[in-house]
Amino acid sequence: MMTDATQPKGRVEIDDVVIRFTGKQGRVTALERTSHALEPGTFTALIGPSGCGKSTLMNAIAGFVTPAEGAIRLDGRAITGPSPEVGVIFQQYALFPWFTALNNVRYGLKQFGLSKREEIDRARAALAEVGLEAHADKYPQQLSGGMKQRVAIARTFAVEPKVLLMDEPFGALDAQTRLVMHDLLLGIWRKHKATVLFVTHDVDEALLLADHVQVMSHAPGRLIRHYHLTQERPRALSRSGNELLEIRDEILGLLHPKTMLADAL
Amino acid sequence: MAVTEHPGTQNSATPRFAQLLTKGLRSGATLGLPLISFAFILGIWTLVGLSGVVKEAIFPAPWSVWSATVEMWQNGTLQTDLAKSLGRAAVGFSIGGTLGVTLGLMTGRVALVRTLLNPFLNLLRPIPAIALVPVAIVWFGIGEGSKYFVVSYTVFLTVWFNTHHGMQYVPETYLRASRTLGASRLREFLTVVLPAAAPHIFAGIRLGVALAFLSLVAAELSGASSGIGFRLQEARQYVRTDRMFSLLILLGILGALADLIVHWIGKKLVHWEQG
Repeated sequence: MMTDATQPKGRVEIDDVVIRFTGKQGRVTALERTSHALEPGTFTALIGPSGCGKSTLMNAIAGFVTPAEGAIRLDGRAITGPSPEVGVIFQQYALFPWFTALNNVRYGLKQFGLSKREEIDRARAALAEVGLEAHADKYPQQLSGGMKQRVAIARTFAVEPKVLLMDEPFGALDAQTRLVMHDLLLGIWRKHKATVLFVTHDVDEALLLADHVQVMSHAPGRLIRHYHLTQERPRALSRSGNELLEIRDEILGLLHPKTMLADAL
Repeated sequence: MAVTEHPGTQNSATPRFAQLLTKGLRSGATLGLPLISFAFILGIWTLVGLSGVVKEAIFPAPWSVWSATVEMWQNGTLQTDLAKSLGRAAVGFSIGGTLGVTLGLMTGRVALVRTLLNPFLNLLRPIPAIALVPVAIVWFGIGEGSKYFVVSYTVFLTVWFNTHHGMQYVPETYLRASRTLGASRLREFLTVVLPAAAPHIFAGIRLGVALAFLSLVAAELSGASSGIGFRLQEARQYVRTDRMFSLLILLGILGALADLIVHWIGKKLVHWEQG
């Protein structure tokens, strides 16, 4: 992985973090004590069974959820709430339906106090990056799921976040569209060099995209296995060697222990 | 970049025409169907009138109602009554609607205001407009003030309630997205929270329009010297059922027109909610 020596920004430090919720059954631990660091410019996939707390960890890095213990830091400064330094791509796109694609992208650019001309130009450039310049004036309802998520990606990258969090961003898309989105995401990520944390429950997706794969246990969640992938991109499970396939089997074994498989059958 | 995904909106050239056609047919039907209903009722009404089974003084025939309308128009009372009543409804609605939206936005967003006001406002909601008329007369006399008060009170509560609830349903992901995009709270409020709550606010405004007419007549029935409600009351004293029918029908038509206008404006402003 090439590292940009001039700008080592976007280091996320998860330091002794515990996250609890108060639910109907009293206090529930969503994330057990976790320490980990995301290095600047790396692409980490976080994978685990549903309800294991992977989204919770992501929400804490985004500043939506405050840890009960420990701290999360971005380049040394504690994260206390949402900020444009940490961009988020949501599974349900979270585009504003009352804005056109272009104005959705402009929404994030407002904070820079650009001239109107400049703001529109930058928003158009961001849409062009995801191949949607021709659809700038359409409303989200007029776009397909894949196109909506591309607008969301353009909107988030346009504000140049140091960290990009993606919560099962392609979970609602069909397989074909997903592959297109993978190429697109990797292309943009290489250009912008953000630190990416990509939450998924799809093992293949994690193996195709990430430098690092973190596997989480069943609830209460904790990181139980780490893989460092160095295979060239674009990857394909069929041609990127047996190693990926072996890792895939291992992860599937971790996610679905034999006992549970027997229960399911 | 290998982007080969087909945009879902481009291959719809043929269905486009079909869509327009069905849309045209449907709007034709929405205009035509009520007319069928009105013609049907008018037909039955005419037959009852022709048969002479019911006394004219109790249940006047359509032509009697028509000539009563013409009569009121010619002596000028109809115009003044309509102007008076519509004016009262408009003023009351504007005051009540503005207060309702403003306070709804506040109770929806500011916890302190919510704590201070919500229980009290919810207690007021079941009190019908007509029960307020005596109080309104004591406070504002039998002039315009008491009419404005009764109408704006009624409109206010409904619009407040719907606005408040609309604010509760602003999706959390919109707020989260907004904050990660670096928006100030003011911009978030104006361009995310308000539009997200707008469909509910408009539902409240539409109800408010209907209630403005209801409460207006209630206010005019006691203590007024003009207006549709007053004229209804007067018609009772002279047992002029033909005039009553005429006024009631006019009231219905006005209410329906006002509702159509508000609905149309709402559809234009909240354009993303369609379908």
